[in-house]
Amino acid sequence: MSVLPEFENHDEQTVKMTTCYMCACRCGIKVTMEGEEIRFIQGNPDHPVNKGVLCAKGNAGIMKQKSPAKLTQPLVRKAGTERGDGEFEPISWDKALGLLTERLRKIRSTDPKRLAFFTGRDQMQALTGFWASQFGTINWAAHGGFCSVNMAAGGLYMTGQSFWEFGDPDWDHAKYFMLWGVAEDHASNPIKIGLEKLKRRGAKFVAINPVRTGYQAIADEWVGIRPGTDGLLALSFAHVLLKNEQFDWDFLSRYTNATQLIIDAPGTSQHGLLLRDEEGELQVWNQTDDSVASWTSSSHDNDVHAALFGEYTTAEGVRVKTVMTQLAEKYLSEDYAPEKVAATVGIDSETIERLALEMAHVAFQETITIDTPWTDWTGRRHEKFIGRPVAMHAMRGISAHSNGFQTCRAIHLLQVLLGAVDCPGSHLAKPPFPKHIAPPIKPARAMAPDTPLSSPPLGFPMGPEDLVVDANGEPLRIDKAYSWEAPIANHGMMHMVINNAVKGDPYPIDTLILFMANMSWNSSMNTAEVQDMLREKDEYGDYKLPFIVTSDAFHSEMVNFSDLVLPDTTYLERFDTISMLDRPISEPHAACDSIRQPIIEPDRDVRPWQEVLIDIGSRLEFPALTNPDGTAKYKDYKTFITQWEKSPGIGFLAGWRGENGEKSMVGEPNPDQWQAYQDNGCFFEHHLPPEQRYYRFANKDYLEWSKSVGFNGHSGPIVMELYSEVLQKFRLAGQGLYDGPQPVHEEDKARLVQYFDPLPDWYVPLEEQRVDNDQYPFHAVNQRPMFMYHSWDSQNAWLRQIMAQNYLYMNRQRGLSLGIEDLAWVWVESHHGKIRCQVKLMEGCNPDTLWTWNAIGKQSGAWGLSDDAPESQKGFLMNHLISELLPARDGERGLTNSDPVTGQAAWYDLKVNIYPAAPGETGSYPTFDSVKRLPDMVTAPEVLRYHTHEPVVLERSLQDALNRGHLSSGDKR
Amino acid sequence: MKLGLVIDLDTCVGCHACAVACKQWNTSGTTGPLSDYEPYGKEPSGVWFNRIRHFEVDEYPNNKTINTPMSCMHCEDAACVTVCPTGASYKREEDGIVLVDQSKCMGCNLCSWACPYGARELDEEEGVMKKCTLCVDRIHDQSLPEAERQPACVMTCPSHARHFGDFDDPDSRVSTLVRERGGYSMMPELGYEPTNKYLPPRQRPAAPTVERKAASSGESLIGKWMKRQKDAFNNLGKGAR
Amino acid sequence: MHPALSVIFFTVTAGAGYGCLILLGLLRLLDLAPDTSPDQIVAMGLIGLVLVTAGLLSSTLHLANPKNAWRAFTRFRTSWLSREAVFAVAFYPVALLWLACEWFTGNTAATVFFGVLMALLAVVVLVCTGMIYATLKTIRQWHTALTPVNFVLLGLFLGTLIVSVMLAQQGLVIDLVARLALVVLVIAALVKLIYFYWIGQPAGPTINTALGFTRATVRLLDVGHASDTFHNKEFGYQVDRVRLLWLRAVSIALAFVLPLLLVSGLLGEVSFGLLLLAVISAYAGVFVERWLFFAEARHVVNLYHGMQRT
Ligand SMILES: Nc1nc2c(c(=O)[nH]1)N[C@H]1C(S)=C(S)[C@@H](COP(=O)(O)OP(=O)(O)OC[C@H]3O[C@@H](n4cnc5c(=O)[nH]c(N)nc54)[C@H](O)[C@@H]3O)O[C@H]1N2
Ligand SMILES: Nc1nc2c(c(=O)[nH]1)N[C@H]1C(S)=C(S)[C@@H](COP(=O)(O)OP(=O)(O)OC[C@H]3O[C@@H](n4cnc5c(=O)[nH]c(N)nc54)[C@H](O)[C@@H]3O)O[C@H]1N2
Ligand code: SF4
Ligand code: SF4
Ligand code: SF4
Ligand code: SF4
Ligand code: SF4
Ligand SMILES: [Mo]
Repeated sequence: MSVLPEFENHDEQTVKMTTCYMCACRCGIKVTMEGEEIRFIQGNPDHPVNKGVLCAKGNAGIMKQKSPAKLTQPLVRKAGTERGDGEFEPISWDKALGLLTERLRKIRSTDPKRLAFFTGRDQMQALTGFWASQFGTINWAAHGGFCSVNMAAGGLYMTGQSFWEFGDPDWDHAKYFMLWGVAEDHASNPIKIGLEKLKRRGAKFVAINPVRTGYQAIADEWVGIRPGTDGLLALSFAHVLLKNEQFDWDFLSRYTNATQLIIDAPGTSQHGLLLRDEEGELQVWNQTDDSVASWTSSSHDNDVHAALFGEYTTAEGVRVKTVMTQLAEKYLSEDYAPEKVAATVGIDSETIERLALEMAHVAFQETITIDTPWTDWTGRRHEKFIGRPVAMHAMRGISAHSNGFQTCRAIHLLQVLLGAVDCPGSHLAKPPFPKHIAPPIKPARAMAPDTPLSSPPLGFPMGPEDLVVDANGEPLRIDKAYSWEAPIANHGMMHMVINNAVKGDPYPIDTLILFMANMSWNSSMNTAEVQDMLREKDEYGDYKLPFIVTSDAFHSEMVNFSDLVLPDTTYLERFDTISMLDRPISEPHAACDSIRQPIIEPDRDVRPWQEVLIDIGSRLEFPALTNPDGTAKYKDYKTFITQWEKSPGIGFLAGWRGENGEKSMVGEPNPDQWQAYQDNGCFFEHHLPPEQRYYRFANKDYLEWSKSVGFNGHSGPIVMELYSEVLQKFRLAGQGLYDGPQPVHEEDKARLVQYFDPLPDWYVPLEEQRVDNDQYPFHAVNQRPMFMYHSWDSQNAWLRQIMAQNYLYMNRQRGLSLGIEDLAWVWVESHHGKIRCQVKLMEGCNPDTLWTWNAIGKQSGAWGLSDDAPESQKGFLMNHLISELLPARDGERGLTNSDPVTGQAAWYDLKVNIYPAAPGETGSYPTFDSVKRLPDMVTAPEVLRYHTHEPVVLERSLQDALNRGHLSSGDKR
Repeated sequence: MKLGLVIDLDTCVGCHACAVACKQWNTSGTTGPLSDYEPYGKEPSGVWFNRIRHFEVDEYPNNKTINTPMSCMHCEDAACVTVCPTGASYKREEDGIVLVDQSKCMGCNLCSWACPYGARELDEEEGVMKKCTLCVDRIHDQSLPEAERQPACVMTCPSHARHFGDFDDPDSRVSTLVRERGGYSMMPELGYEPTNKYLPPRQRPAAPTVERKAASSGESLIGKWMKRQKDAFNNLGKGAR
Repeated sequence: MHPALSVIFFTVTAGAGYGCLILLGLLRLLDLAPDTSPDQIVAMGLIGLVLVTAGLLSSTLHLANPKNAWRAFTRFRTSWLSREAVFAVAFYPVALLWLACEWFTGNTAATVFFGVLMALLAVVVLVCTGMIYATLKTIRQWHTALTPVNFVLLGLFLGTLIVSVMLAQQGLVIDLVARLALVVLVIAALVKLIYFYWIGQPAGPTINTALGFTRATVRLLDVGHASDTFHNKEFGYQVDRVRLLWLRAVSIALAFVLPLLLVSGLLGEVSFGLLLLAVISAYAGVFVERWLFFAEARHVVNLYHGMQRT
């Protein structure tokens, strides 16, 4: 081989590890620097999440750092200008924080709920939640309510583990994988890594999705379902399984509440509740002596043989029936027969039946075992882990519907029937999950001036008494989470905040702090009107939403609508923690957390939001941040993270605890903890020993360990709740039968009765129930592009070269039948509004479905883009068509366009009509005035030629050029 | 040596990671910078060595989506090299990599005309032709850790759809994959003999199902299960659980 | 293919120049214009050289990095473009020698020798130019022996016409040359018609072979980039079918039909004026022809951008 030149001077390069934040997947990255410039960002091969790979966004980090949209200094709205006009003045950090602190101090000492603090798709909810609790406002939440709380709630109230970021399919063992409504998801890289593993092993991959792109492109079978009907499909699968007697009898008896007894006493407050003894112990029917016994004894005691099926009458004369009986009765009904549901779901009945029987085959006839002895919670030793290698994963295609909670439960039901939960080859929980059902945290209700909350703002209601409502049953939170309208709104309802606050319903607020949320654009429903609301004034000429503070790193549409802008650093410029107290990066078999460290010095007057929060909290003298003498307890964010303890020995970071860093998970604070992380590639990994890796809901060693590290409050078993008594309590309340709080409004009662089925259920999505489906025959949904994260990647010079305009996609045949040609401009109308956009026809699309890529459309002038950028001229948002309220019905107050159980925003319930635009009608509609540039913003270059050093050209010698002849295959070498 | 890539169309999800990884590595690489025009303007475009296109095969409902990443195929019969008048384009004897010597190119575009695969892009700012270097400055950089002596696109591919290796070595991973999975060339009829190969989507045999039971009504099934439960209980006898 | 004006001008004008010089180089040998004086021939030769030179200079305009143009001589062994460059340059000393012989010695063996050599070289250059295109398998509309033949014939055709107009301008006898022009015209026109017929036949790679999915329809779903790239600009050029047919008709009318009428005397006695008209018409016609040569060429890479077949 000819001598090669030295390509680059590695001695002049430095390499540092940190964590990517181009999205919430949180991959480990290795950044090579040359001076102040980034040479290369690559995956950290040792990192548990991405194992060395990186997605398109992660690979474009350089261009995020180079973005002309970066904020450069704190800004306040210019006095005398209107909100949204985009006239700002620079302000010093000192003044900005002084001003904000004064305002907050006043709120805190009078009526803390007048501060609402909401955060978007961030990854530091443990910190912001802590901050809100210390402030004393219950008006805090993160993106979960408009994102995917249906998945969290659906799982956590049924199996103690869930989809979303909280579990993974067992990519190494699954033989059958069913993916429901996922385009990209948070585990962006892990899913791709996993799908390849699956396919290499010859497992079957079935994708249930109205659209065939991305993951579905490589599915072995694509099931092009009609949106909003997955629950019905899942229950039809359940029907087929039951009909063919394909369910895991032992699994159901041992690990779920299938043997527990439902009280059958219609018209009473006991109806549908589970039978308990005086101690509150759940009961089963003991076949040994034909009487009741406790569920616990049925698993321990050899004399107790719980019946899985049967209707009985107790000695006291209470009529009861096992959960499994009620369940089987429900799903064996012909209502769920494939032939019955086929037309609704848009899939033929043979396919439905075949898929169910395929899964049954894998679960029961291709069972796998892992020869590791383990002990269950009763102390019984098992020689091996038995695996039913059917795995599933589901996300927003399920969750973003108003029936998503029940649909999610229906999918979990399938897994449980197959015995395919946390066993080899199935869906595996990631520590700290699984958790007891539901996690024992109640949402905070009480507030007092200058006082921290006594429990976190968000939690898990177990019945009507846990709602966050006042004595009259009216909502206490600004977003109306945990009210009768959305009782199990575990993650809050961020999408309602602006609407409610501006209407003063339930009350007006003073200050809204938004962190990492683009609420005047792609993260709000009904964007155009939200912008108007933000401008709305009362009779005295004051803004109805008086003060808006935004923490952003870039010139987003939301920045434009702020009164105070606190510019954040980029992810390469700050310290950060990805904590187990938060949404951890754990893997199924390892509890993990990680940090970020600065790679680059900011060249602007910006501060990490983490520092700002600690700073403001100290100024406000939050008890947890203040010494008895009133001085700040922690000098900065880094010290706070290492020193603060949630409970003794447990803090934000689990690795290298103890004074010398010798302890893991639990231990005293370690002042050198950050350094230990930096030395270990910025992540910590506690591997579970082999015997703790499966059946963790019933695995003694795991349960004991999980208690010892604070994941769970006790080490008792996690019993899956196929039948949810919690839901039944709400239903009873709706029926006026509950022994406890009851709703007053008729619409609330009706919703509780209709949608709170204690067994997984399916109903027509709410918007579809209320609009004329002949007038709006199409479903309209979104997909995440794999190479962009919500609104924040259009500023990225490389990524926007991949896509700068989104199209509306539809089925080719269907489009042509309506006279819609490829690339035609069309009008799309919903009950709420209309948009104009450009169509692309495609094959892989359910004929009743229209879809587009999410958040490509931008407001002109924002994000450092030119005013004529295609993102604003031809790109569009579907959000304009989506109302935050359901189509009105007489005699009803406005009801949120959300899941009636969890308050999850029902983005994908949208029903629309489509027709060609008139000739000459082109360009997207609606259009908005261009956002003004900020003072001091750099001007975007016409041409970019990013590089870190002069290229070392591999030169071809003239002699070689002259001499070497043809290069046909004949004379290679 | 005959170095090149194998791209697995069975697992490529079309995520564009490889394309962007290529861009970021090579903009500071031997043929960098890779210019971007109107990066924040109306028609953003630039020089890329690897582009991902998305196709649909067959029609609804039998449609299948195929994502096709394409970069230089390092053809054995590389007409792009033979047509080049300046000698700027060449195929390395030692490993078969086709390169453009930036210092010699006169920007006549002829090589790009000769390339069927759209692998060459003129850098309008510099006036020279650029193309995939097979990351020659990674794979042959002895000061990189051995595991990293791989093209940027291969290292980054989340669905491990890209493989790099020596096709002259029959036991290499790439040779094995091509043999076992029926790797093929795009547009073989042009006779360029591309080194890079594509693995077609796997054809899975139909999955087995459990035998379908004859329909019986719901009630009778529950009755049957209760009987089975009772029998099991009786057969077990006490304590035999 | 994007029709670059500099390249069209180059191939048409230099082609015409070479055509002139081929004819002039053979003038003495074949005794086509017996009463022409050396200075008249030299004058015509210089005009031919000007055409060639103007064309060649224009050809460098489309180079993005002309400072490396000199390197184009290095790959003579494989590159037709390099060969074209080498022969185009080698052509000059021979042409100058021929001019010198003609000027100083008139009709001598040396003049004839260098004239013939020059003519041969001119043909070689034209063949090279044609081969640049003909060797491209990526563009089936070019990948044919008809391409170099067409380049030689059209060059010769324009050249013959130009020589005859120059002769006529000087009041010299043009019969033979004009008749030769007619012969070349007819052959060139025939070759062009054959070409049009040939490119109309379906052949070449399709989207199916381009991707390796040959059993079903294949459609582009997304091209994967936001705006036109180098490839779209260079290869994506598309002309509407109807316009194409019109342009073909215009090209044939201007290049062949009108000159045929003019030169054959059907529109009146052949005169300098009519011949000049014929030259202008033919030049314009060939210009359109060359534009079409590019515009009708469909590069296979377009298959990856949505085209179904080449
Ligand atoms: N690259 C990238 N990654 C991201 C994000 C991003 O913006 N970009 N965002 C992150 C965030 S915040 C989230 S919440 C996750 C979301 O990740 P995903 O869950 O993948 O969310 P979507 O892209 O909305 O995909 C929803 C999918 O469901 C399908 N679908 C729609 N309706 C239905 C239905 O009724 N039934 C079924 N079966 N399918 C349906 C759609 O076609 C689409 O494929 O992604 C995260 N990851
Ligand atoms: N039509 C429709 N709308 C949707 C969805 C949908 O599927 N369809 N999906 C919904 C879902 S699931 C979600 S999660 C939301 C997401 O909604 P958001 O979380 O609001 O997402 P982004 O638009 O990315 O806004 C995040 C903001 O954070 C800013 N930012 C980025 N990096 C930093 C940083 O380092 N520091 C700070 N302080 N700010 C930063 C960005 O500039 C941007 O303004 O969108 C929702 N909206
Ligand atoms: S998936 Fe991509 S953007 Fe998200 S963290 Fe990982 S590399 Fe970064
Ligand atoms: S990175 Fe891999 S999966 Fe993604 S487009 Fe490239 S080859 Fe396909
Ligand atoms: S793919 Fe194109 S550029 Fe690469 S070797 Fe083949 S012909 Fe040349
Ligand atoms: S553009 Fe450069 S590399 Fe390509 S043929 Fe011309 S001189 Fe050679
Ligand atoms: S081998 Fe290197 S240069 Fe070629 S496509 Fe991959 S990353 Fe780009
Ligand atoms: Mo989300």
